[in-house]
Amino acid sequence: MFKNKLGQRAVRLHKTGPQVMQEIHACIGCNECLLACPALSEPLTIDVLNRETLGGPISRPVAQFARACYQCGACVAPCPVGLHRDAMMMWLKVRLLRAGWGE
Amino acid sequence: MRKENTAGTIDRADIVIVGNGIAGLTAAVEARRFEPEKRIVIMTSQSHPTINTPALKQFAIGKITREQLLAYPPGTERLQRIHVVNTLVEEIHAQEGYIRLAGGQGFGYQKLLLATGSHPLGLPPDLPGQDFDGVLTLHRLHDYLDLRRRLNEVEEAVVIGGGSHAIETVMGLLYWGIRVHWLIRSETFLPRMLDRYASALVLEGARRAGAKVYTKTEVVGIVGRVGVVAGVVTTDQRMLPCQLVLVCTGTSPVATLARHCDIPMKHEKGILVDDHLRTSVRNIYAAGDVAALRDPLTGTYAPRAQWYAAVQQGRVAAAVMTGGADPERFGVSWHATRLGDLSMLTVGSPLASSDEVTPLVDRRRGSYRRLSLIDDRLVGYLSLGPASPDGLAIKRIIDEGLSVREITRDLLRGEFDARKYFSSKRSYAVQRMVTTGQMPTPLPPVPGIVAGERVAAPRVSARAQSLPPAPLQRTTEALPPQPSPEPPVRPLHAGSRSSASQQQSFPETDSLRKQLGAQPTLVGAEQNAAPAAGGTQEEEVELVVRVPERQFIAPPIKPREVKTDALPNPHPSRSLWHYTSKQPAVKGKGNVQK
Repeated sequence: MFKNKLGQRAVRLHKTGPQVMQEIHACIGCNECLLACPALSEPLTIDVLNRETLGGPISRPVAQFARACYQCGACVAPCPVGLHRDAMMMWLKVRLLRAGWGE
Repeated sequence: MRKENTAGTIDRADIVIVGNGIAGLTAAVEARRFEPEKRIVIMTSQSHPTINTPALKQFAIGKITREQLLAYPPGTERLQRIHVVNTLVEEIHAQEGYIRLAGGQGFGYQKLLLATGSHPLGLPPDLPGQDFDGVLTLHRLHDYLDLRRRLNEVEEAVVIGGGSHAIETVMGLLYWGIRVHWLIRSETFLPRMLDRYASALVLEGARRAGAKVYTKTEVVGIVGRVGVVAGVVTTDQRMLPCQLVLVCTGTSPVATLARHCDIPMKHEKGILVDDHLRTSVRNIYAAGDVAALRDPLTGTYAPRAQWYAAVQQGRVAAAVMTGGADPERFGVSWHATRLGDLSMLTVGSPLASSDEVTPLVDRRRGSYRRLSLIDDRLVGYLSLGPASPDGLAIKRIIDEGLSVREITRDLLRGEFDARKYFSSKRSYAVQRMVTTGQMPTPLPPVPGIVAGERVAAPRVSARAQSLPPAPLQRTTEALPPQPSPEPPVRPLHAGSRSSASQQQSFPETDSLRKQLGAQPTLVGAEQNAAPAAGGTQEEEVELVVRVPERQFIAPPIKPREVKTDALPNPHPSRSLWHYTSKQPAVKGKGNVQK
């Protein structure tokens, strides 16, 4: 989170919350995005990632992954249904920050 | 552990769901969210928990493990107190409100959701040789487990079927290094969704990837040697040697329960349901592959056998059964998949043909896009190409009935930037819903200019309500509260459509629009885009921009001013930069250094 001309902690999102939710519901769980991810260091299943992006408590591995994600966008091209994992990860980062895990 | 056989202990539940596919489980989980106390039971004859069925192709070729197939994290059912009963439901007694299970015992329900899914059509039952070992109909987890075990021993395989399931299977086998013969009964691929050119493009892609494609070819019989498949004989008298025959000939809904219901339940191809997934029998709902929904464009009932449709229907079913929330609207169908190295996206009905529909086609550099337009509204979108555009955004455009006049060219070229577009639209649809109290109509009832007026009128009133009240209130403070501001506004608007003064302001708004188009779409943080002004200025800009649109004078398409003379985006939809034309991080750094 950086300070920009908007002043306090403004966040840039690729997509709004409802859009991200819709995309997660459309996710078929094929795992292609995680296979392409250069930042993923430990095995993580897509069902857990999806559920925790949607809501509820965020577990440690998912939080670690969300912090490791540097939004390179490598996950977007391989998605067979044309979804945007980067936007979902950004949303997860926001949720993390709101929960006070960001520091 | 996950499945408790509790059929003997409980004999009724508030919500009973038949089938634990994704529609069933989604409905159960959602229903639990609305109703923390009610008793929710899933009846299933499936021996495994809910899995991501589209990911089975990745599973078959060893890209993911079995654990990664789970659609919900392990233990979700127990955590949500959803009982899963492993049994077969045989009959519905709707008059008394109970179902009869395989053992003969009854089980009462308050609301019943049928999510029994579909079964594969397979080969015709009288086809000789179809019971040889090595003939697999791919549908369930077990079929894919079987396939996965066999892959190492197979050199040549025959795939039968002409749908996206078939091509995904073909590509998977090729990935594994198996020679593939692909038999398609019809002349083209996916004849109901793709036109001839698009189908040729897909088949060409499959050939390039190494598959041998036989169109207008069917199987006459399967040849075996000592009980194992040795080859396939086709209609053109050819014998294709192979060790594996994979059947992907489509599915049909499992509507047996609709037949075994004491009150006749309407079903044709699937169980007919309305927009709230209610069947023709009270308190019985259907969702997933088994539910035949009405297509908003054609008016015919057909099941939507797709993953996203099933998830959506599960959610709606839960909302309707519990009454916990307003169910979302389904809108038009959306289907996206990867066909080899091509991404295919179909939204709505791109092949719709009538005299009102204008098709637009773009065939450039090995990709293909087809738009179906009625007036300035999109009714169907088809895209085939290396990258797929933002399909859900396009679905939203169709569902909300937004005008695509300004983005037609981008859509046609596959360069549509959803973020840019929606950030300029922002709360327009919501505003309209609030002010008119109506959901957006997917299609104008009467196509033509009239449709424009119908949409435009409330939009003006929305503006009028949100902007001018401040000065107005000050002058009329003593007066009784204003009646609705619509009457004074509407005639004014109608007159202004042709008035000269309004047209005078046109170039100015146009230049503003141009400015806005060239601007990066992110709010704020751009040098000239009003750092501190945030709210107010943005409002103003929005207001100005809408003016030409609401007037419905000749289209402001103008001589191609969309030409953002900035660099063309080198990676359409490949990366982050698809959404932003500037790189935020770099920008911020520069500021800090100063």
